[in-house]
Amino acid sequence: MKISLNWLREFVNIPEDVDAKKLAMLFTIRTAEVEGVESQAAEFDKIVVGQILEIHPHPDADKLRVTKTSVGKENVQIVCGGSNLSEGMYVAVALPGSRVRWHGEGDLITLEKTKIRGVESVGMICAGEEIGVEQPPGGGDRAILDLSPLKPEAGMPLAKLLEKDDTILTVDNKSLTHRPDLWGHYGIAREVAAITGEKLKPYKTDVKFPAKGEAFDVQVKNAGFCQRYIGIQIEGVKIEPSPVWMQKKLQAIGYRPINNIVDITNYVMAELGQPLHAFDTAKLEKGIIVREAKDGETIKTLDGVERKLSKDMAVIADHKKAVAIAGVMGGDNSEIDKSTTSILLEAATFHPSSVRKTSVKLGLRTEAVQRFEKSLDPNLAETAADRATELILQICPSAKIAGPKTDVKNFKEKNVTVQVNLSRVFSKIGVEIPVKKVIDILQKLEFKVSELPENRIKVEVPSFRATKDISIEDDLVEEIARMYGYENIEPRLPELPIKLPMENKERVKKHFAREILAEGLGFNEVYNYSFYGVADIKKSLLPEEVHIKVQNYLSEDQTHLRASLMPNLLKNVESNLKNFSEFKIFEVGRTYEDLQEYFPKEEKKICGVIVRGKKSKDEVFYEAKGALEAFLETFRIPGMEMRKGESLCTYAHPNRYAGYYLKKNGEEIARVFELHPLVAKNYGIDGPKIGVFEINFTKLMSVEPKELKYKPVPKFPGITIDISVLIDKNREIGSLQKAIQSTDKQLIKNIKLFDVYEGGNIPQDKKALAFSILFQNEDRTLTDEESKKILEKIAAELQKLGGEIRG
Amino acid sequence: MKELLEKIHAAGLEEIKQVKNLEALKEIEVKYLGRKGELTNILKGLKDLSDEEKRIIGPATNGIKLDLEAKIKDKQSDLEAAEIAKKLAGEFFDITAPGTMTAHEIGHIHPLSRVQQEAENIFSDMGFTVMDGPEVESEYYNFEGLNIPADHPARDMQDTFFLKDKSEQKHGRLVLRTHTSPVQIRTMEKYGAPLRIIVPGRVFRYEATDASHDTTFYQVEGLVIDKNISLADLKGVMAEFLTRLFGKEVKVRFRPGYFPFVEPGLELDFSCLICNEKGCSVCKHTGWVEFMGAGMVHPNVLKAGGIDSTKYQGWAFGFGLTRLVMMRYGINDIRVLQSGDIRFTQQF
Repeated sequence: MKISLNWLREFVNIPEDVDAKKLAMLFTIRTAEVEGVESQAAEFDKIVVGQILEIHPHPDADKLRVTKTSVGKENVQIVCGGSNLSEGMYVAVALPGSRVRWHGEGDLITLEKTKIRGVESVGMICAGEEIGVEQPPGGGDRAILDLSPLKPEAGMPLAKLLEKDDTILTVDNKSLTHRPDLWGHYGIAREVAAITGEKLKPYKTDVKFPAKGEAFDVQVKNAGFCQRYIGIQIEGVKIEPSPVWMQKKLQAIGYRPINNIVDITNYVMAELGQPLHAFDTAKLEKGIIVREAKDGETIKTLDGVERKLSKDMAVIADHKKAVAIAGVMGGDNSEIDKSTTSILLEAATFHPSSVRKTSVKLGLRTEAVQRFEKSLDPNLAETAADRATELILQICPSAKIAGPKTDVKNFKEKNVTVQVNLSRVFSKIGVEIPVKKVIDILQKLEFKVSELPENRIKVEVPSFRATKDISIEDDLVEEIARMYGYENIEPRLPELPIKLPMENKERVKKHFAREILAEGLGFNEVYNYSFYGVADIKKSLLPEEVHIKVQNYLSEDQTHLRASLMPNLLKNVESNLKNFSEFKIFEVGRTYEDLQEYFPKEEKKICGVIVRGKKSKDEVFYEAKGALEAFLETFRIPGMEMRKGESLCTYAHPNRYAGYYLKKNGEEIARVFELHPLVAKNYGIDGPKIGVFEINFTKLMSVEPKELKYKPVPKFPGITIDISVLIDKNREIGSLQKAIQSTDKQLIKNIKLFDVYEGGNIPQDKKALAFSILFQNEDRTLTDEESKKILEKIAAELQKLGGEIRG
Repeated sequence: MKELLEKIHAAGLEEIKQVKNLEALKEIEVKYLGRKGELTNILKGLKDLSDEEKRIIGPATNGIKLDLEAKIKDKQSDLEAAEIAKKLAGEFFDITAPGTMTAHEIGHIHPLSRVQQEAENIFSDMGFTVMDGPEVESEYYNFEGLNIPADHPARDMQDTFFLKDKSEQKHGRLVLRTHTSPVQIRTMEKYGAPLRIIVPGRVFRYEATDASHDTTFYQVEGLVIDKNISLADLKGVMAEFLTRLFGKEVKVRFRPGYFPFVEPGLELDFSCLICNEKGCSVCKHTGWVEFMGAGMVHPNVLKAGGIDSTKYQGWAFGFGLTRLVMMRYGINDIRVLQSGDIRFTQQF
């Protein structure tokens, strides 16, 4: 909302030389955020009135002319393309350093002294749109702004000539959400007065309504929609442009002048915060009825849009049709136009949530809605009605009030009184404030305060703060604290007992997991959205029914909550392949699954993806398996079983898949796999080799890790012996390892596969495996004899499996 | 005999002095001290001398022998050092060739994770517990419980994602939480007062994306409930937190702000670290950087959490972790955080 400093000055003394920025800062820390402070004059900096003395043709361009122009103390040469130049004409000259909008379009640019087609030009003679100024009446509608009708003097700053001497503050609307009283200049002035200690001038109107005659007929059918409806009929109105002073004030705060009546309603709203509306009574059938809309009823609003209404909305109607949507926007069927001579001025208090609901439903947010939804004081309607009437009579001398004021009241004066325990207030603010100071603060804000025993006060809330804003002690804590000055509260650390925070093991482990994966295992962390689209569900072969659908999704690729981290990571793979041929990424994030209960199942998952080149010799499955097992090892997960298992995972390769199951309950807590070839193809990533592991972190955290216990470091050296065996290609390495281990559980400490060989000089259906086996006795050094014996046993076991020992 | 000895000694010392390499030194050693060396020969001939001569010549010969041995050893060290120095001086080594272990072998942690952990650590040190809550929330926890009834204008500030076909009497519709504040109520319900918690987490807004807005971002919620807790404490705790986080002294200021779940409601700004409050483009020439919303917990919220507001009071705050990360590292487009681009992650 824009606030004019000059307008505020009508209600509170603000010295001419006040630093507007400082005032804005004070308002920001006491009341509400001022987002911008703009001096009108600053816009016209280095733009002055000039008088054209001579005009000569440009030696090198037909359409350009070279002028000698007086800018007061000196004459300058300016090249200009305007067609309406004449000698003696007064124009706006933008001197070097000023800011203009080139041809009225784009951003402001700063002018410099320049040469135009070889001729020096000091500044620019401006068209109106280049500096945002309208042609004053009497100058004609021509390209270059003609200031001659204003009879100015050359050299005069343009801001002074146009009386651009205001400063405009922009207040953040959001910070006024709870303050219906601050949506107009008078309310802001009241705060300014309380902040600066100046006195607020009383708001006075002087208008007399006839006691006799017929009041305009208004019926409020549904009191829930409308707390108050004041209607005033004014006749003899002549629709014209509003006076220049009013237009100027409205323009300064961003309102476009329309005509005298409409401008007056806007003017009073800007001043008091009360929206008003005026109907052309000639277009009304008999009286006004405030009622609920009929389902399917339509109305064309002032913005020219046909609106379809429903029963929960309130309309202003005559005896035939709806003429306005209550509190939202007027209808075009009762609009003021040039032929209007009699109007009905409406000042009403509509129900905040009804207005708001209607506005949301229609997608129509207006200045009126913004104010009504904040809960306006019904007393304000009367002040505004009187003020608007006063202005109409003043501006439009032929106008006459037709009859007594109609005032339908469906509210009771709300007398809000709050008892305040000051000790509690001070304990919340953290400062002891003298009681006298507290009372002074509250009185400046127009609260009535009386002292009670035991450090208590009784506070009567003024009606303009009583609608919603202030009803309990805590609300007054804010009033006292902000006006005392938040900057006067000294920071301190709370005196709380030392208490060990509850441990959030999962959170600590999550950070640990990231460190292992990134810094230990070389994966890069990515973050993805919690959504994906139907296309992803299909590409990943996932069942749609486990997914939760977003009702108001923003785009087609964000329609469902993710039930797996995989699809988004596959998109990451695809995009990173543009820059890298091999990489490793991981994500830690939640998945959401519909369990047919109210709250869905949320689980934390970790998913890692390894991408290796097509020609990579190593099987990417084993790389992923190694990474997963290293990870699980650092988490010391006990009692786990790896097996081929049933593939629960649609995007995994059916054969290249292993699950890791907890022995205690058979639950799968992790899996490693290669991507299903079809899924890889669907994502256009079927070139490289892709290995994946997934960890259900939530389940992993439900397992108590193995305790660490020290085992003495072996005192006696072990013996490492290599053995190579030729065996069927389809024989699992795991079974060989098991067979080797079974020969001596005590002495065999480690079995390491160090070579796998196929092809070349060995039979096609065979593979050669080489193991390195560590024998060690904890009590003494092993003899060659002993290790030889075990080795023979191992050979025998391997032969039983069909192996042929090669050495 | 004595003269002969002295002559041998002098000649030996001279030869050692003149020698230029280790091989020649070895020859000298053999010549004087070897099995057939000059001094060995004299010692061998001692048996032919008189007892008196033996007493004189024997020790003298040994003395010379020891002296020559020591000098040869010294010379040997010198020559060896010189030889290494000579070798080093001539060697070419290219230190500009690239290292063979590269940073690409180390993975990188996302900046959001890093800063989140940092924030958790600082608050943990101040006795705060790190809490967690669901990202899919009910309307009750996300709004009503926080004193934001259905048609409250404050709901505009928080454009909400609704989930399909899920509705319940008390809880209303299912939503993606628009802030981490629902965890306030959940924690109060579960643990009662007193409380000292922070809740970092992912939140969602139904909002068109651009360089500074995204549907998904991270917040850190804070809540302290106790008997005598005040706004002065909030100021102190946040100043401490920011000072520790940025590693230099940070001041904070309050100004009024409106959030239905707190009363009074505040906006908290911190002193601009770029310009030291002098005003620059980062702080929009105000000297202060907008940081978070906060305030004293509204009695209705305490009530919803089952806490007696006549006995307990407290404050809550919520700041944007994503914004903090962007400020700290100069990230000018929020969308890059969720782009999955390794070239982004690798910078941290």
